[in-house]
Formats: sequence, structure tokens, C-alpha cells
Amino acid sequence: MKTVKLNTPIKESDVRDLHVGDVVYITGHIYTSRDMAHKKYKEMLERGEALPKDFNGYTVYHAGPVCLKNAEGGWDLQLIGPTTSIRMEPYADMVGEMGVKFVIGKGGMDKGTLDACAKYGYAYLQAAPGCAAKGAECVKKVVDVHYLEMGMPEALWDLEVVEFGPLVVGMDTHGESVYANLKKAAFEKLDRDYPL
Amino acid sequence: MNEQLVKDEVYKAVLRAATSVSDDVKGLVHEALEKETNMTAKTMLSSMVENLEIAGNKGKGICQSPGYPTSWISFGDGNLPEKINEVVGAALGEATKKGYLRPSIVDPLTRINSGDNSGEGVPNIEYEYNPGQEYVDFYISFKGCGAELGNAMKIMTVPMIKLDQDFAGLKRFVLETAINAGGKPCPPFAIGIGIGGQMDVCSKLSRKAVSTRKWDDVNPDPTLARIEKELKDEINSFGLGAAGCGGDTVCYGVKIAKCATHTAIAPVAINFHCWVARRAGVRIYNDGRVEKLL
Repeated sequence: MKTVKLNTPIKESDVRDLHVGDVVYITGHIYTSRDMAHKKYKEMLERGEALPKDFNGYTVYHAGPVCLKNAEGGWDLQLIGPTTSIRMEPYADMVGEMGVKFVIGKGGMDKGTLDACAKYGYAYLQAAPGCAAKGAECVKKVVDVHYLEMGMPEALWDLEVVEFGPLVVGMDTHGESVYANLKKAAFEKLDRDYPL
Repeated sequence: MNEQLVKDEVYKAVLRAATSVSDDVKGLVHEALEKETNMTAKTMLSSMVENLEIAGNKGKGICQSPGYPTSWISFGDGNLPEKINEVVGAALGEATKKGYLRPSIVDPLTRINSGDNSGEGVPNIEYEYNPGQEYVDFYISFKGCGAELGNAMKIMTVPMIKLDQDFAGLKRFVLETAINAGGKPCPPFAIGIGIGGQMDVCSKLSRKAVSTRKWDDVNPDPTLARIEKELKDEINSFGLGAAGCGGDTVCYGVKIAKCATHTAIAPVAINFHCWVARRAGVRIYNDGRVEKLL
């Protein structure tokens, strides 16, 4: 298990070098997107419209921050941590086609994402859950925000981060998912100890 | 009646819950880190310990998600202040304005965010009248919704719970629900289990148990205490770990509450609480004494 520090834009070869259990720190830009933003991207892409950010080489963070308006009319980020990623499973191929290199969240994703990780060359990173005060320490600046009308959590926030982490590779490009492996072993034990 | 005292204490308890994890869980987080043997889980637990320190030192919230606030108020004769719900609502508004709680309450169909954590039925308050009770008890829990995504409720039957095999069917339902939940409820989690009633009663029991009991307490009912410990140990034996990426501790505690049901059914509700146990409880006696419950 290795620890790597990467800058955005991230190269596909760097992603393909990673294996489950490796630890990653990211410096650069991170884009938050949850249920409503993913839905919006899908509709826009279907209509052939350009997305507000170039996601190629960047990361999608399943998160909705707490931000307060400051005196200059900008935003001060107070808290940020991951939301449960499985809800975004239907968009596994879409984020791959967008060129996203890391999907960051919590709880892991499913088979569709694991296949997409191998196909498109992205990895799923697990952030420490419920650690939003610590998460905010890595955010140096709120660059801008799109779709605020969808609500603070659901908006697309562009965040400038320095050594954002620790993030653990939960699903890699080699077909390994720590979540699937653990679940399989747990059900084998359950079926032995508590047969149906 | 200490109307103002009750209101003040309720207001303070809401703010305390919004900005801190209950003391029992602080201890459990440190204990889990000390005995953890898995490197990934150690990384995650260390982040959790550090996060609590940063939030405490900087006077910040702990988690970006405010979850969904539910309160429990029990009262006796004539000691519940009027419009106590407005006090809870005002405290939530204050905590939102200060940046402790993200505005996260939406209409269930249009998904329009109210912007201030208000909404139809929010804050949810469960009232309980106990004739002769010489105090008011107030609890609040901000329970995250990744935890909700792991929840399950089933109207089981006597054959399904396997009554004759020490409830092996009921236990399996809990264990498979925990495995399927995995990392979704922000583990190490605690689980509230309601047994009995009908769907509504059973689900409320499960939410109250995990939200108002100390996670390191022991159930006074010896049978329930035994099952709670057995389930907790079994769940941890799967090796799911903090954050669900592998490790020794995925579950801090199992809390069971039961009540009578109909002879035809055996309802079971399983309710996760994320590790960020933003919970507070306070007892305000009619004579003015105040006691911290959680």
C-alpha cells in the first residue's frame, strides 16, 4: 500500500498505477456534485450542451459543503465531507465519458462503477466519513458555484484544495473493490453461521 | 412551572447537539482507534479523532450534513411550556445561520430546499405525556441520511424469526442488513432495533433507542442485553471496519427496544446512526434542577 500526492489535472496513467488500499492526497481543483447535479449533467449532455467545467482530468466529489456568504459577496467554506455515493451509481459511465479521474465519496459503489473504472480509467476514493471540519482545512478557496438554485448541498462547487485527504482507494482500475470483497466474505460467514 | 428555564435548556441542548458528539461516543471513537489493527481503518479513525479536535477548537460543526432532526419531549402535568416546538425551530434556525447546519431540508417531491432547515413537519417532535412526571425530558438527535439508506423494516412472523432457535431468523435479518449497509451509514455506527407494535410503532422504537440511549450502556432486560451484545460482536466479526473499508470496529453498539405486538406478527425495524452522534438530552425538574442526560 502506497501513499501518493497528485495534482489536478490528473493523468490516467497515475490512476491506473493505484490499487485498493493506497492512500491519495489531491492538490488543485475539486468539483462537488450530488444527485441533482449528476441529473443535470446527463440532461445537458443529452442535449449536446457544454458543462460549466471541464471535468477531464478532474475529480467529482460526492459532497455538499456548508458555505457562508462573506462581506465581499464570496463564500467561506465552513464544512465539507462525503455523502453516500451509491446514489450516483446510475451515472457510472457518464462520469467516465466526462473524463473524470477520481470519484470521491463514502460507502463505495457497485458493479457498474467498478466496470467503468477499468474501462475509462478512473478510481473511487473513500474519504473519511463525518470529518467535515477536518475536510474544510484542506480547502483554500471557493472558486465559484453553479446551480445554487438547486440548494446549497446540490450545487456544483469548484474548490481549490491543498493535499486534500487522506483518501483511500476503495475501487481501482484492476477490477478490485474493497467493498465487494468485504461483502462477499461477510455473506459467506453469515450463511455458515446463520443459514437461511 | 419553569417555563423560561425549560425553553432555555431546550434551546441550549439543540445548539449543543449541533456542535458536539455525545460524551459516550467520544470515548468509543478513541477506544476503537487504540485497539484497531487494520491500517485503512486506523487512517479513518485517526481522521475522526482529529476532526473532533478541530471542530472543538474552532467552534465549528462536525459534519457537513445536519441529517434530519428528531426530538423527544416527555412531560408531566402542566409542566410543558406552550409552543416548545417554536423554541426547537428557532434553535435550528440559529445553528443554520451560524454555519453549524447546512440547509438541507427539501420538499419530498419538488426537492425545493427551504434554505433554513424548516419545512412541513420539521423539526419532528415526539411528545410523551406521563401523568405525575415531575420533570421535562428533552432529547434531540441529528441523524445523518447515509444511515437512513441502510435502514430496513420487515413485518416478520413467528416462523421467520425462528423463535425455537434463539431468534436466529431475526438475528440474520439484522446481520444481513448490517452487511448490506456496509460503509453507507458512516461506520462505526450504532444500530437501534425496534421489535413489536406495527410498522409505525416499531420504526419509532428503533429511532428512539439509537438516538437516546448511551451507546456503551447495558440494557436492563437481561435477554435484550444478551442479544444486543451478541449482535454487536457478530457484526464486528465481519471485518467491515470504520468507513466500511475493512477493520475491527464497524459497530459501536446495538440498542433494542420492544413493545407488545399482535399475535399474528413479529415486526422488526433496524435503524442505523452514523458515528457523528450529534445528540443531546437534558432533564429539567419542576423544582428548577437541571440534569444532563446525554
